[in-house]
Amino acid sequence: MRPGTRLRLVLRDLGSGSAFASMAVSGQLPTWTLALYGVALVCALAGRRLFATRAKLTALLLLAVAGVLGMNVLAGSVNLVVAACAFAGLIAAHRLLSAPDPATDGQVQLSGLLMVAGGAALSGEIIYGLFLVAFGVLSSLSLALGVVEAAVPEGEPVPVRQVMRPLAVGVGFAVAGAVAFFILFPRLNWNMMGPRVSPGLGAATTGFSNTVRLGGAGTIKGNPRIVLRASLSPDPGNALLDAYWVGRTYDIFDGQEWTSVSGVRSASQRVVTLRPGGESLVHQRVELLPAYGGRTLVALETPSKLGNAVANTPMGSRRVALQELGGGEVRFQEPSLGYTYEAYSLPPGGSGHEFRDLPSDEQDALLTLPEGLDVRVGQTAARVLNGEREPLAAARKLADWLQQGHAYTLELSGDVADPLADFLFERKAGHCEHFATALTLMLRTQGIRARLATGFFGGERVDGSYIVRAGDAHAWTHVLVPGRGFVTVDATPPAHRASQSSQVLQQLLSFYEALEARWRSAIVDYSFRDQMDVARSLVRPPRKRGDPDAPPSRMPPLRAWGAALLAGLGAYAAWRLLSRFLERERPHEATRFVDAVEAQLASARIDRREDESLEELDARLTREHHPLSPALVPVTRRYLEARFGGRPLRQGEAEQLLGTLKRAIAAEARRTAAESREPRARAS
Amino acid sequence: MKPRRKQGWARLRALLRPPRTLKVTRIGRTYLVVTFGVGLGALNTGNNLLYLLLGLLLSMVVVSGVLSERCLRDLSVRRVGADAAWAAEPFAFRWALRKKHGHGFALALSEADSPLTGVGGVGYLPAGVDHVVRADLMAPKRGPVLLTGVRITTTWPLGLFAKSRVFPLEGTLLVYPRRGYACQDPGEAERGPVGDAGNPRRNDGTGDVAGLRDLMEGEDARRIHWRKSAAMGKLLRVEREREERRTWVLAVEAGLEGDALERRCEEVAALAHRLIEEGHEVGLDTADGRLRPAAGTAQERRVLRALAWLGHEGPRSDADEEAA
Repeated sequence: MRPGTRLRLVLRDLGSGSAFASMAVSGQLPTWTLALYGVALVCALAGRRLFATRAKLTALLLLAVAGVLGMNVLAGSVNLVVAACAFAGLIAAHRLLSAPDPATDGQVQLSGLLMVAGGAALSGEIIYGLFLVAFGVLSSLSLALGVVEAAVPEGEPVPVRQVMRPLAVGVGFAVAGAVAFFILFPRLNWNMMGPRVSPGLGAATTGFSNTVRLGGAGTIKGNPRIVLRASLSPDPGNALLDAYWVGRTYDIFDGQEWTSVSGVRSASQRVVTLRPGGESLVHQRVELLPAYGGRTLVALETPSKLGNAVANTPMGSRRVALQELGGGEVRFQEPSLGYTYEAYSLPPGGSGHEFRDLPSDEQDALLTLPEGLDVRVGQTAARVLNGEREPLAAARKLADWLQQGHAYTLELSGDVADPLADFLFERKAGHCEHFATALTLMLRTQGIRARLATGFFGGERVDGSYIVRAGDAHAWTHVLVPGRGFVTVDATPPAHRASQSSQVLQQLLSFYEALEARWRSAIVDYSFRDQMDVARSLVRPPRKRGDPDAPPSRMPPLRAWGAALLAGLGAYAAWRLLSRFLERERPHEATRFVDAVEAQLASARIDRREDESLEELDARLTREHHPLSPALVPVTRRYLEARFGGRPLRQGEAEQLLGTLKRAIAAEARRTAAESREPRARAS
Repeated sequence: MKPRRKQGWARLRALLRPPRTLKVTRIGRTYLVVTFGVGLGALNTGNNLLYLLLGLLLSMVVVSGVLSERCLRDLSVRRVGADAAWAAEPFAFRWALRKKHGHGFALALSEADSPLTGVGGVGYLPAGVDHVVRADLMAPKRGPVLLTGVRITTTWPLGLFAKSRVFPLEGTLLVYPRRGYACQDPGEAERGPVGDAGNPRRNDGTGDVAGLRDLMEGEDARRIHWRKSAAMGKLLRVEREREERRTWVLAVEAGLEGDALERRCEEVAALAHRLIEEGHEVGLDTADGRLRPAAGTAQERRVLRALAWLGHEGPRSDADEEAA
């Protein structure tokens, strides 16, 4: 292998890997295709072309894979587009392991092209953009090295260093050109698609299920992935939001897990009203990101109305219906990777529920205790309350007692027979579900109605909206207070309510999320309206700095001058090119005439010598008594008059003169042919 | 088609040729199809990432055009030529290439509008360096080949398009008859005073002394044996044995045309080569003229050149030929 070839192959393989990764980041490719391609790429980078000697035989493997994918598509387990993308990846893998020749190189590059196109269809992540650029750069370098290598004689090294510099400049211009094209090319399609989503990094984290089971490790608290983004109106403006985002509530505890008593409460509808609203409702525009992974709507406590939901799928956005379930849960009716919706919530202070308005089964459930509840729970609650009967005060008293005497921990091992007694009296440590369960049941033992609520706590302000992480998942207690309804009391120590992931990890993820948000707004959601805004911004007069209320300047902005200058330079360059074309020296009419004469003379085997003018040729032929000389003399004289004597050729005169010359040449040719047919003696 | 008409066509093609020609390569065709597909997908779905990809693909096409144009600019080329060109077999041909400014990459050189096949390549051409490019060309037939220009093609940078530029450069390459083995007997050697070898019946060679005889009038005085002449009192000349060199005059009969003429030329060329290799003298008799018998490689070249021109019309001087 000559120097440079190895580098070219590595660049080619890495380019193919980038193209495959642009699809893989969507998280939709089957795992086995990821594994197969990964193995093939590693082998190829290590220089092991396993299929080099069995290209046709191993191509049968592709047929088998195509069959498997086809069956998956027919069974409905794999989308057709996803299957096509996966198959393109496997073709690329096969080509990577084949013998590297020009045909294989071309197939690898083209399969890479198909894969980045497939990635565009599957993924809207910013990582796709990075892999797209990586593919463009790596494949261009590989192609260019291949082109040069093919031209370099065998045995000589490929001039790698010399190739890189001009090509890097070229690729830089190509990327800039792609951006310019993207910004300026009119969007001819009016299908305004919403955010296109994919699960992204790792598996989605749902915080909700039909039951809440005590015990086990609370790993979700350390997960920094962002599951929810919301903009609030009125905007509280705080950097950290001290609020509860409720998803659903539970009212039956069987000693191990929480459940809800009622099932489906309403048919599917576009807007769900949970309770009457007021004048001071907090409006939320919520986006559930693919990392959320659930179908339960989340809203600030206490939600009043939820609706206008849109499901964001890889193939576009569509409206989706909602359904109310027991426990105050509202669910999307269709599964999707992400959702956007609107919610209105009452300000904190109570849900406004009257006990008698609750369904009878819920009324009963609010005081239900599990069978076999440790008697120490009730005794302890009574001792702590010491006669306190007011629900909210009692709840706060118990919460204080729990926070003082019990530690917060996520390190819990396995299930125990009575997790509540274990938390309260043995281990005296647990996570939010333990604290919330203990408070709820201790209140119930004293005849105070309460239930468990789950959702998220907190919110971090990023770019004017609030983000909530998977680690913000939380559980707390709703205490039914007469006249106010359900009021939130949180027994979990305040320091442990929000996400507990590493600060560095959170910052890194926040940075990524910020980039992702920019990518989404600037690239994925870029629309014809944005194009118009870009065009308008070029000519919109600037406002005076420091005074937003001041009237805009009458002068166009600097960028408008810049755009005008660029347009002017472009017009000038076009004019220069055009004028150069129009003003180019055109041959004189007499010159065209003499060219035609020369062509006719050439056909009669009379060639002008180097630097011999037509006049000199005419003189020479006259001296030699050439048979064509009489016909050439008037032609030459007329040419000289037309070219230098100020007597241009009349209309049709050139054709007439040329016709005369042509006839003379033809006559001379006939005479010569007749002479050649006559027999002649040959000297021996 | 007559040779003159062919030359006319070649000149006409050279006249009508655009300054650059562009040909899409195989991978380039697929690239364009994929680009078209991505464009359709972008317009149909409104997927912005497909617009981004489409922009990148189209920008690559534009960049490819610009870089290849820069590659073909400021080039100058001249023919170095070939030592000898035989029909139907590869022969080495050379061009000298120079770039005034910038760098050139992946340049392929060939003769434009000529029956010569074969391409020479240079991977990297720095500025201001005379680079000699060698190619193994092949000519299908014997005779003069009109060279109108040198075509320089590059697929730089991505191999999607092959952009060509033709540098007008007129010349003629004389292609000798196809080399082969002469199965025929050359016939009887010439008798009588022909060629440098003289009459084989005379002992006037340069070998061993065969005898002495009186010097005849007009004979070369350098042949006189002075000591014997002094002893005998008359001028005696030495007769030396003649070497085994004989003379043949090969002939291409008049009236042959087409394949028959080609075959005869090839046979005569092979015979001439064999005889000259054996040290004999060879002459050539054709309808166009007679070549005086002589020995040596220069004579073989003369025979080959005469055979190459046979049946063709045009200048016959060495200066008109690009090579050989």
